[in-house]
Formats: sequence, structure tokens, C-alpha cells
Amino acid sequence: MKDTLRWSYAINAWNLRMDVFVRHEEQQRALKTLSVLGFDHVELASGMGGRWENLGTPEIILINHGSAEGLLAFLRRAGISGVSSWCWDPGQPAEETGYAFLMTRNPADHDAIVEAAKPFVDLLAAAGGDQLVVRPAGSAWMAPPLGDGDAGIVGSLWNRVGEVAAAAGVGVSLHYDCLQPFHTEEQLVSLLDATDPALVGLALDTAELTIGGIDPVAFYDAHHGRVAHVQLKDTRFQDAGQEYLTPGAEATMLKGGAGRRIERWFYELGTEGGLVDVEAFVASLRAHGYGGWVVVEGDKGGNATEVAMLNSWFLQRRLGVEKV
Amino acid sequence: MATKWSYMDHWVTETPQGPLPPSFNRTYMDRYVKQLSALGFQGFDTFFFYLPMLQGMYGSVPAFEHFLQDNGFEKITGIFSAYPYATKHTAPHVRETHDRIVADCEYTLRGIEGLAGVENFIVMPSSTDWQTEPVTDDKIKIMADLWNRVGRITLEHGLKTTCHFEFWGAIRTRPQLELFFEHTDPEYVYFFCDTAQHTIAGVDPVQMFRDYKDRCTGFHFKDTKNVDTTGMYRTAPDPELMAPDVERWFYPMGEGGLVDFPSLMKEIVASGYDGWLTVEHDKAELGGGTYAEATCLAKWYIDNVLAEAQREAEAAL
Repeated sequence: MKDTLRWSYAINAWNLRMDVFVRHEEQQRALKTLSVLGFDHVELASGMGGRWENLGTPEIILINHGSAEGLLAFLRRAGISGVSSWCWDPGQPAEETGYAFLMTRNPADHDAIVEAAKPFVDLLAAAGGDQLVVRPAGSAWMAPPLGDGDAGIVGSLWNRVGEVAAAAGVGVSLHYDCLQPFHTEEQLVSLLDATDPALVGLALDTAELTIGGIDPVAFYDAHHGRVAHVQLKDTRFQDAGQEYLTPGAEATMLKGGAGRRIERWFYELGTEGGLVDVEAFVASLRAHGYGGWVVVEGDKGGNATEVAMLNSWFLQRRLGVEKV
Repeated sequence: MATKWSYMDHWVTETPQGPLPPSFNRTYMDRYVKQLSALGFQGFDTFFFYLPMLQGMYGSVPAFEHFLQDNGFEKITGIFSAYPYATKHTAPHVRETHDRIVADCEYTLRGIEGLAGVENFIVMPSSTDWQTEPVTDDKIKIMADLWNRVGRITLEHGLKTTCHFEFWGAIRTRPQLELFFEHTDPEYVYFFCDTAQHTIAGVDPVQMFRDYKDRCTGFHFKDTKNVDTTGMYRTAPDPELMAPDVERWFYPMGEGGLVDFPSLMKEIVASGYDGWLTVEHDKAELGGGTYAEATCLAKWYIDNVLAEAQREAEAAL
């Protein structure tokens, strides 16, 4: 996309489950799709690790492509120039780390999390990426309510990861998702306040914030100095109150397994009934001179290709962004 | 040379009632148009049988065309009409059915009144080969007579009747194609080059264009991985979906098929052809594919591979 903003697209939309999106031809088709739709950078996402995460975890990427340059050559075959960012959830057990169940709220796990972050930082830096986008803490329903010291504990971990990343020339941004425990605006700000702005920023996800009851436009206007990364997608729903605390909220809430039975929460930009004012949000990014990546996401939204086409249409026809 | 790309209206998407064409309802149709718009298509070809549905969804066919234009399209570029299955009512090789076919065509022409300027009235000139056999010279001449009649009428409405040959149709071999064109009037009957269909039938589409470029008014750019060498074109009742050895005949460009698209592109540039180029996918969902992905891959191939072939050809002019 030709624009003053830097646009990228999240490749996780194609990686629906662990045994798909494995063959290189399949990945090339997705990359070509993004290229022809005007995107020239992608955001990677870690998963469960293991032999099928060919675009997910550092060890497996290196087995496939040998080096960061090999990865970039693979992307360039499809017309994708580079990697903008990489999403990583240290609480997601991965085969490479022995399915360790690491919790950022547990100081005893911090050394292991810092070590686990290093391969991501190193490969991301070598590939010219900008942000390691991390899940700050595991789902709220899996642990006791936040205590007074939790923001400080979690913040201290991400400062450490931020130091490691900064040394490699990569930023760390904490991704707000609607299930993690720093849920309210007050809680989120308390976490940001517990981190060093020079090392750690916020990855603002427009749909996740909206579901969590936080207006992304107002939040960005108030805290734009801390926003280092943006993920852009829409939603038609908000958490009705405490749905994120439902046991098994990944399925009971976000897959419609219980409660209101909402089976799909995330939608393409401009969806009918969408709650995110995407135009106003992007205008605010421009007004504040935002310099980071804006990653369009289409995960958990149905057919990845069709959603990417609709997102590209929105950028071109509603935001006036010219395709590359 | 500024190439103009249009899209032939085959599409299937997931709906609450299963995988269906986007004519499922207006919302799905709007999404489909936006998706094509995102890729930069400027023209839209559709089937005659979709016209009533478009009228129902948008109020009128011109209103649908306005929606296309709001999304960056220039216009509806072609209408496709066909009688693939011969019946006692309609069979291009049976002269007694011609009045009915002509009346059908006139009805279709009334359905597109008010549009910005449809250019092609695309027809399958024959029904299935197996229903036409024995395919004699006389039958081919009868079919030529029909399309001469239709061509004269469509031209009065500004549309060129242009013939799209199927690998399973009764006009499929090079001698049959030559005989057909010999007996049709160049003023009324034109050539529409479907790259995959000719290749499957063992006819080189690049050579066909080279030989009939003066009568060519359009293309379906699609690929195939198989040439029919065992007579599968005769499979009854339908060789497209029931051929014994090939489950899927058609593929998007750039996926390892047999058609030499760069050579065709160079021929097109060298010829000075300035009409529409059309992407078509047919049965793209077979084997787990999707129309959305096939269309993106085809457009990627156009923007990356064919654009380079075009540049090379233009440099050589």
C-alpha cells in the first residue's frame, strides 16, 4: 500500500489449526494473495510449535529456510518484501520448549520466558522486523484476580524482554486481547505504567479493545505516545460484562460454546454492524503522526482469502489508500 | 498498450446454506463485487441466466452496473449464452430450433438495455459433441447459419456475437474450427479464445489467436493440466464433471498448467489487440480450491508474469 502509514497483513488468518498451512505452495498462495491485494509486509504468529509451524516458530522456520535471508527470499518469491512483526504468546505451550506452561504473573517463570523470547528476537531482527508483539499475560479465567503487585511483576518481565529486544534493534509491544487480565482501561494503563516506555509499548488491537469495552479511538487519543504497534480489525460485539472470566473463555466465549453463543467475534473492516470506527481510528493515527506498523488482521473471520480481499477493498475504497 | 481485465462471473462462496454463488443474496453479491474491485478488475462478464437475479437484487441490471462503477469497474463487458445440452427445443445443429434460439437471444438483449455498452455476446456455438455426432460438415454449416443470424441481430444492439468453443463441444478440432469460421460472416461472427478449452481439445490457443486475431474479441485466461487424448470429450451426459480420468480440468494461471500465457500475451501485444482480457475460473472449488484464491492467484500472475511479457513485447515493437 502506498501511504504515509506502513501497512502489513497478519498471516495467521491462514493458519487455522495445527495441521494446515504447512506446505510451501500453500503459503506461497497466501503470500501472493496478500501481494496482489497491495500488502508487501506480513506479520508472523507463533503457534504450538513443532514440525508444522513453518511460518510460526524460529526453530522450524530455520529448518525450512536456513536463515533470515532464506525466509526473506521465500517471501520475496511471492512479492512480499519483509516481516513487520511477530506475535508470540509465552503462555502458549510449545513443543520446542517442552510444552512448558509459563506464566508471566509468576516471577519464577521469568528467566525461562526471557530465554524463550531470544530466538524470536534474533530471527525477527535478522529479518528486519520491527516489533515482537507479545501476550502480556494468560487468560484471566485461568488465574486469580489481579492483585496489587501483578502489574509490577508482569511489567518487570517485559522490561527485561524489552532490554534484550532493544539490544537487537527490535521493539516489544504488549498486545491487548479481550481475555487477558489487564482488561479494563485502568488495568491496562497500570500495566503500561509498570513498563519502561523506552523498551515496551502497546500493541493496540481495535477489535479486542472494543470487545473489552474500551473505545480504541479515545484510548489512542489519550495514550498515543505508548502505542508502538497497531492491529486493525472489526467486531460486532462487546463483552456483556464478565464473559471473559467464563471458564474456557477461548471456546465458551469466543467460539460460542456457552452464554450468548456468539460463534464469530472478529470481522473484516467495514463490516455491517461493526463497532470499530476504523476511519476515525486511522484518521487519529495520521493526526498523531503514528510511525509504527498497522497490521490488518483477518483471523477467526472465515475464509482468509475472502476476508483479505474485503480488507484491501476497505483500505482502497474507504481509506483512500492506493494499492502498491 | 493499456490492458483491460474483466472477470467472468463464476464464483462460489460459503453461505449459511452451504457453498453457493454470491447471488445468494444482495449482501453476498456486494461482497463479491468489492472483492473483485480490490484486485483491480475493470470489466464484468456474466451469464444470461443471472440477469433476472441482478434485476431482483439491485432493482435493475443498470443499477447493478452502477454499483460496479461505484467500485471502480467500467461496465458490464460481456453476456454469456449457451445451449450445452441439446434438446428438441434448442440445438444449434438442428435448423428447426433456430427460431427459438434467436428469440432467446433477443430476449437476453432486452434484458441488458440501458447498460453502458456491453461489447460481447459470448456463445457456445454448439451443444455437446456426443449429442451432435456424427459431426458432419453440414451440421457445422447449419450452426454457422444460426450464429450468422444471431450476429446480425446483436450487432444492431452494439454487441458482437463471439464464439467460445468447449473441448466437449461439436466444434473442437482445428479442421472443425476452420470450417466453422469459413462459413460464418466475419462481420457478424467473432472468435472468443478460451485458452484451457482449446488446449484440452489439442488445439494450440496461441496459434488460434495468431490465425484468427482479426476476428478475436475476447479471451478466457484459464489453465489446464490435461489434454484429452482418450476421447473423454464424448463422455455422456457431461465431460466437464464426469470424465473418467480427469476430475478437474481447469486451473488458475501460474499453477503449473499447460497453457503458454506469456507467449499469448506477446502475440496479443504484437497484434495490436485492444479489447478486454478476461480471467475465468470454472469449477475452481474442485479439490478444495476456492474462487477467491484462484482469482487472487490469477491476478498476481497478471501483475507479475504477464506484465513482464507485455513489457518485453512492447519493447520489441
